Amino acid sequence: MIEVLNLTKIYGKKENQFKALEKIDLKIPDNSIVSIIGKSGSGKSTLMHIMSGLDRPSSGSVHINGTDIFEMKEKKIDAFRASEMSFVFQSFFVEANATCYQNVVLPLEIAKVSRNKRKRLATEALEAVGLAEKINSKASTLSGGQKQRLAVARAIVNKPKILFADEPTGNLDSVTGDKIMKLLFDLNKKLGCTIILVTHDEDLTKHTQMRITLKDGKIESIHESGIKS
Amino acid sequence: MKYSDIIRRALRNLLSSKTRTLLTAFAIAVGTFALTLTIGASNGAQNYAQNIVKQNFDPSELLVSKDTNLFSRQDASKPQVYDPSFGSITTFGGTQRQVKMLSDQDITKLSGISGVASAQPSLNISLSYLTREGQSKYIATLATYNSYQSPELLAGTLPNKLADNTIILPEGFLSVMGFSNAKAAIGKTVKLAVQNQATPTSNISAMKSPANNSPHEYDFKIIAVSKTPNTVISAETALYLYSNLHSVETLNDYITLNTKNYHQYLIARVKVIDGTNTSKLSAAEVLIKNQGYSVQSVVDTEKTITQFISVIEGIVTIFGLIAIIASVFGVVNTMYISVLQRTREIGLMKALGMHRKDISRLFRIEAGLIGILGGIIGSALAIIAGTLLNPFISDKLGLGDSKLLIFKSGEIGLLILVLGLVAIIAGLLPARKAAHLDPIEALRTE
Repeated sequence: MIEVLNLTKIYGKKENQFKALEKIDLKIPDNSIVSIIGKSGSGKSTLMHIMSGLDRPSSGSVHINGTDIFEMKEKKIDAFRASEMSFVFQSFFVEANATCYQNVVLPLEIAKVSRNKRKRLATEALEAVGLAEKINSKASTLSGGQKQRLAVARAIVNKPKILFADEPTGNLDSVTGDKIMKLLFDLNKKLGCTIILVTHDEDLTKHTQMRITLKDGKIESIHESGIKS
Repeated sequence: MKYSDIIRRALRNLLSSKTRTLLTAFAIAVGTFALTLTIGASNGAQNYAQNIVKQNFDPSELLVSKDTNLFSRQDASKPQVYDPSFGSITTFGGTQRQVKMLSDQDITKLSGISGVASAQPSLNISLSYLTREGQSKYIATLATYNSYQSPELLAGTLPNKLADNTIILPEGFLSVMGFSNAKAAIGKTVKLAVQNQATPTSNISAMKSPANNSPHEYDFKIIAVSKTPNTVISAETALYLYSNLHSVETLNDYITLNTKNYHQYLIARVKVIDGTNTSKLSAAEVLIKNQGYSVQSVVDTEKTITQFISVIEGIVTIFGLIAIIASVFGVVNTMYISVLQRTREIGLMKALGMHRKDISRLFRIEAGLIGILGGIIGSALAIIAGTLLNPFISDKLGLGDSKLLIFKSGEIGLLILVLGLVAIIAGLLPARKAAHLDPIEALRTE
């Protein structure tokens, strides 16, 4: 359960103040797929950054399973992110010079997982996204869709509770994009992790259980489809 | 993140930009090359000096003179009070220099100092000539033999104490004295000629008359032939003849009879009881100095020899250090570029929960590895160059079998480690920049 309470984020000072987020209240249940939708500048990325502990709010709090993450020290937030969260980005951010395996084990290295366990988890993750035979290929040899699948494998390798996907199909053609979305929905069912999808594309939000629409830093609407697994 | 994982990641990052890594490392290698050669030369010089001293000086001996300016010339520019005990020596420039000489009383006094085993004059005398029946005359120097010298012999044997009127003939005189080989010389007699230096003050014409002052020849029996040593102070010592103190004194007395220098000595050799023990040696040194004498120990002699080399080494070291300081800026620059290029990677690692300290460590280790790589390249090149050049240098400088460049693995290892540390320090600022990078900025896509 992710609880966002009275969250406000203000950039700048005095006359130049800009409210990126204003009094956001949210409850996201476990194992759900949630989309945050809004135009650029609506504050959706800021909300994601704060929910993941990468950014700090000006006021308000984020509770994950009852813990206020901003009460934790920086080192603890880092450790928390390493074990409980992961990310998929629009531009993949895979290391082109490294092999698929080396890309996938990065979160495990950060979380200090033992070497034997790493091998097993990485193989599982690559299998889950259909890249098992590419384990020792360099990431630079992959197509765009494969790179994003690699990024997804990296995101699920440490079995996170929450997966943030920031415009995951933004750099892909619609067919490949649909495949990635299907992959994410499948993983949600299989692994039971909460997926928070940040996008400006309404089409992607159709199948999500909860759709949060942001406008100018405020919640415009929360739409719950009621299909709960 | 575990240390081993950070190191592997750092290695991979360096390998993925090989050219940049190598070029930066080469800058460090230039300085390392100079420093490694300097260290090698320093070892070689020390080794050479030690060899010379070992072969020519008794480590348990102190050289003592009455003249305080003989060993250190710091007072030479000041006027000096006349002392009737002054004798004169000819300096390199050809001018006569007045120095205080040691008398027999001084020698006795020195022998009486506690801790002193024996004191004797150090005598090297210039012979008028050395010859043998039916051979030409050659100039030569006769020196006092001390058992610690233990020269390598081609023929003959050396008793503990040389008998009077016996000599060790150096290899160089064999053929000119008409011997076909070293063995043939043993037991044969050579003539050592000396000339009295007294000036008959009343009669100048007598001085010009050779009849009054012709060289006197002494017969000496050859008991051993010494091999030309590999390490010599100067070429001429290779041709020194050696005899016992009494014989040398006899000849010296003949030369100096009726002169101011009769039984006056420039330097005395004082053997210290347990003198190889440095604390006993320096204790005796202090006692002798307190008696108003000037003292030089083996260590001082070694210093004198290495002093000149040290100056050159200092200069090369400074240039090497300057090269390394310059290359440090190369490391800083390379690492800054690396941080800028890898902004997104850093952002991603932060997003995935990598701690700031670990990110900083990653970049510091990359910098350190560049330093170590540069150190290895530079020292390897220096060792290769040194090994190839050593025979050539030894030949040109006349060092015999001594090597000018001696490399010690411990020192070079330490140098490489220090370079790694220096590079880590150079990487501190770029690593800090990476650690403090805002992940949100770094991950912004547009």
